[in-house]
Amino acid sequence: MADDAAILQALRAGDASALAALFDAYADRLYRLALGLLRNPDEAEDVVQETFLKALTHLDRFEGRSRLSTWLYRVAYNASIDRLRRQGESALPSDDRETEETGAVPLPQVLVEWRTPEEILIDAEARAALDEAIQALSESLRAVFVLRDIEGLSTAETAQVLGISPGAVKVRLHRARLALRERLALLFAGPPGGQGR
Amino acid sequence: MNCEELIRYLSDYIDRELDEELRADAQEHLATCRNCRVVLDTTQQMIFLYRRTGRRAIPAERRGRLFRRLQEAFQGSGTGTTADQAA
Ligand SMILES: [Zn+2]
Repeated sequence: MADDAAILQALRAGDASALAALFDAYADRLYRLALGLLRNPDEAEDVVQETFLKALTHLDRFEGRSRLSTWLYRVAYNASIDRLRRQGESALPSDDRETEETGAVPLPQVLVEWRTPEEILIDAEARAALDEAIQALSESLRAVFVLRDIEGLSTAETAQVLGISPGAVKVRLHRARLALRERLALLFAGPPGGQGR
Repeated sequence: MNCEELIRYLSDYIDRELDEELRADAQEHLATCRNCRVVLDTTQQMIFLYRRTGRRAIPAERRGRLFRRLQEAFQGSGTGTTADQAA
């Protein structure tokens, strides 16, 4: 927080080194969120650029009511969603909306232990499966999972970024986790060659 | 607590957001239910794997290009001055 305040103050004073500090602090995080949503590196890059440009032009109006990180994530999220809408993707598929309201979550089906993380991480096929599984999530679940479990935002921060209630964040995170676990379970079952397929 | 309830509370359990009583109930169930233990372990492992692999940096070329464009915009806006310009 103190760092953000210092960066903002220096930026307002026109200090170019503060731009590097801002960029280093947030560029990767914003890029990962945009890439997770858009699945297109060029578009993700555009979103990051838009986000920083917006931050720079709103410097004088940013009063620190929310944390700078939350504000930047929110701008990047909205820019990503705008692009998806223009491409004709709905932000929240109807199947999500229904089950989200009832809170019903499918019970886990694959009940086998996995290989160790070390074994999985050196397996190229397994790493590709991690990417595929997260991309198979609906965008509303993906956004929550990326912000909460990968970027480490709190439930309250995630709710602010996405403009939804903390309760909805928790429901979506739970659904995302169970869906990812289920999808990966057969491939990650251990020992190698002993299970699955 | 039965399996269905355990699964419903699984994320709250992982995030340590259950009150003490529910947490104790969950632990009691986990102590006797292998299936739920597997689901808990593999869910935590899944989260760990994404934390390890998901925090990628912008590829260097893209990163350099992005930063240069922002620098130009910052200087062009009139608010920014660089060390070069100042010198
Ligand atoms: Zn059980």
